[in-house]
Amino acid sequence: MLSRVADSLYWINRYVERAENISRFAEVSEAMALDCPPGSAEPWQPLIDASGDRALFDALYPGGGPDQVVEFLVRSEGNPSSIVNCIAMARENARQIRDVITTEMWEQINGLYLTLLESEGFWDQPPQEQLREIRRGCQLFYGITDATLSRDLSWHFGRLGRLIERADKTTRILDVKYFLLLPSPEEVGGVLDELQWISLLRSAGAYQMFRQSELGVISPKAVATFLLLDPVFPRSVRYCLDRIHDTLQVIAGRSVPGAPEELECLVGLTLARWSYTKIDALIADGLHEAIDALQRDLNNLHALIHTRYFVLPGSVNPEDNPGAPAAQASVSVSATSHDLACAPA
Amino acid sequence: MFTDYRPNKGYDEYFSAGEQPRSALKPLLSSLGALGLDQLNRNHAAAGMLLKRLGATFRLNDSGGRVGERILPFDPLPRLISSGEWQRLERGLTQRLEAIDLFLADIYGDQSILRDGVIPRDDVESSQGWRPQLQGFTPPLGKWCQISGLDLVRDGQGTWRVLEDNLRCPSGVAYFLENRRVMKRMFPSLFSGRTVQPIDSYPSQLLQTLRDLAPWTDSPRVALLTPGVFNSAYFEHSYLAQQMGIPLVEGRDLACEDGRVWMRTTRGLEAVDVIYRRIDDDFLDPSVFRSDSMLGVRGLMEVYAQGRVAIANAPGTGIADDKLIYAYVPEMVRYYLGEEPIIENVPTYLCARPDDQAYVLAHLNELVVKAVSEAGGYGMLIGPHASEVEILEFAEKIQANPRNYIAQPTLELSTVPSLSEGELYPCHVDLRPYVLRGKQAWVTPGGLTRVALKRGSLVVNSSQGGGCKDTWIVEETPC
Repeated sequence: MLSRVADSLYWINRYVERAENISRFAEVSEAMALDCPPGSAEPWQPLIDASGDRALFDALYPGGGPDQVVEFLVRSEGNPSSIVNCIAMARENARQIRDVITTEMWEQINGLYLTLLESEGFWDQPPQEQLREIRRGCQLFYGITDATLSRDLSWHFGRLGRLIERADKTTRILDVKYFLLLPSPEEVGGVLDELQWISLLRSAGAYQMFRQSELGVISPKAVATFLLLDPVFPRSVRYCLDRIHDTLQVIAGRSVPGAPEELECLVGLTLARWSYTKIDALIADGLHEAIDALQRDLNNLHALIHTRYFVLPGSVNPEDNPGAPAAQASVSVSATSHDLACAPA
Repeated sequence: MFTDYRPNKGYDEYFSAGEQPRSALKPLLSSLGALGLDQLNRNHAAAGMLLKRLGATFRLNDSGGRVGERILPFDPLPRLISSGEWQRLERGLTQRLEAIDLFLADIYGDQSILRDGVIPRDDVESSQGWRPQLQGFTPPLGKWCQISGLDLVRDGQGTWRVLEDNLRCPSGVAYFLENRRVMKRMFPSLFSGRTVQPIDSYPSQLLQTLRDLAPWTDSPRVALLTPGVFNSAYFEHSYLAQQMGIPLVEGRDLACEDGRVWMRTTRGLEAVDVIYRRIDDDFLDPSVFRSDSMLGVRGLMEVYAQGRVAIANAPGTGIADDKLIYAYVPEMVRYYLGEEPIIENVPTYLCARPDDQAYVLAHLNELVVKAVSEAGGYGMLIGPHASEVEILEFAEKIQANPRNYIAQPTLELSTVPSLSEGELYPCHVDLRPYVLRGKQAWVTPGGLTRVALKRGSLVVNSSQGGGCKDTWIVEETPC
């Protein structure tokens, strides 16, 4: 597979996953906002912190309220991670590799893009309906991908992007909400606003599965356990890491680990760290610190994948050669924008 | 449905001069009548949406932003050509390309046609398409033009003529294929009761043509080289790569090492045997042609010269796209094949010849003047539609650089009824059939019919408000 194509597949999936997660956060918050006293910033402000874009938001919308938060997350042109920008970038990457993805995948992502950009009635619907349609559009893209794409490297690179983005977003939503709902660590296990915790689970698409799990009763500790350590819930950090590990092994084409190189070490250690631990130990050592470290690991993982598979030794980038005059060259839009959107922390 | 339709004074392909429907058209006209104009208009709008969803678009600018893409306007009324007539055109196209190919082999080889004085040496060597670097080179199979898309027109009497030879990277074939799919999906009733020759085998034929070029291996690795996503024909590049199941590569995906061309993949370098290039000669290899090209591959021409990669079409074919060289093609057919051309040229005046130039300058208001190396409807003057000032400007340009201009009579191109502002209107058309030449020659049944949707316009180019139609090769129906 061409390195450039692998890069695009990875990013199509990251962008779609990102858009889906943001639409879920926003959808849940829209619903919650209706329960809040008028004019209160809650539950909107945490969304900005969860996406790691506080500085950008304050620059674009100084003193912005709830409407600006939604605008920022959903439609803003200035926010590279807004839903519309994510879908546009996913679609642009898909356009670059239309020959590799299936026609049905292309039609889905292009159709979603056209709906957001051009459909007359779309933005007239109630906000939750808009967000639901976006979320379903993203989910349909995964479904079509899984139903039509051969399980070769294309599929694996796509899945890799999807899983890394998902793990990242699950930790962010937990991190922000957890500490917002629990101003001081002593309150773990204390009185809580159950509604808030339900909304946290819903934001991560985890409410029903949490209820069906053995943890059952909602407590801060149980929620953290589920989102971080559950072995079978497809959005939990541990589940994602497990599949990232598998996927990287398939891509590397080795069944038995040899002398592990940097990428293999990092993914193996990270998986072990989040598989062989108990929630009490994590809380005692500082949950926030542990999540911070995980996000750093995910960023490093991305960087190592990028170097290993997306740029090969000997590649000449136009940027490496500033002396050359500009031709009508095809500049990689994706390259720079990826970097912008990649590590918002 | 056609009660208000008034054909032009030229040749209308649906109706004869007495406004009687031509015999082959009768079944189609009754299906169209059953559909009705309102339904036709509704399905037409839906077809536009479908093309957009499929992403059959081209980019207008290089903004890369959220706007700037549009579909090639699609007209639902098909254009019919009888199979008997088509067979003659097929022979004519094959003959013409055979002659052009021999011409290319000759001028990059022995140059007998120049020594015999059939074509002035200076006309060849002064061409922008002339690539002296390729002298003495023989491409795989000895053929230069594997994939061509010639432009044919019918004049006021309905006679078919060649308007242009497009031998470098003719585009539009994806629209030709997609239009048929859209027609079948949106207007199935129009197909009922008649057999239209299918066109779906184009991708397989193209792949076979390309695979033929690498006789050194049983399993040639073929790649399509595109300038990238900002190129206006990018949709077509990705579409063809997808249909053939071959990788779509950009210059930056390729590297030349150890005398071969390689693709950079996630598992290291993989060899490439055949490159279907959709970029111009100039950009292919910065070490031989334009040194500022970032689209090509450094060292490609050296590997090519050693015969370790095939490139289609062969670099150097651009010389035959020169409109001055076009004028000599009938001579080439006679010189190399000893035959008379089956399809004639449009009469052409060469401004490089003093007599022709004098005639052209005296009749600018009647003629179409074209710059020899321009395409896409740019750099031309349509005398009857031009202002006094424009005519004077062109006269100066011609006198300053006569080699750069040819002139042709303004053809009353044939018309086909088309939807224009919701009504049927006779719009001018041309036809671009695609000819593949690997071990065997193959002509697409029909081709891309381009239509000037602006009322009265003679320019069919998409850059100038043109659209396209499905083209049907049908059996002659006795009546």
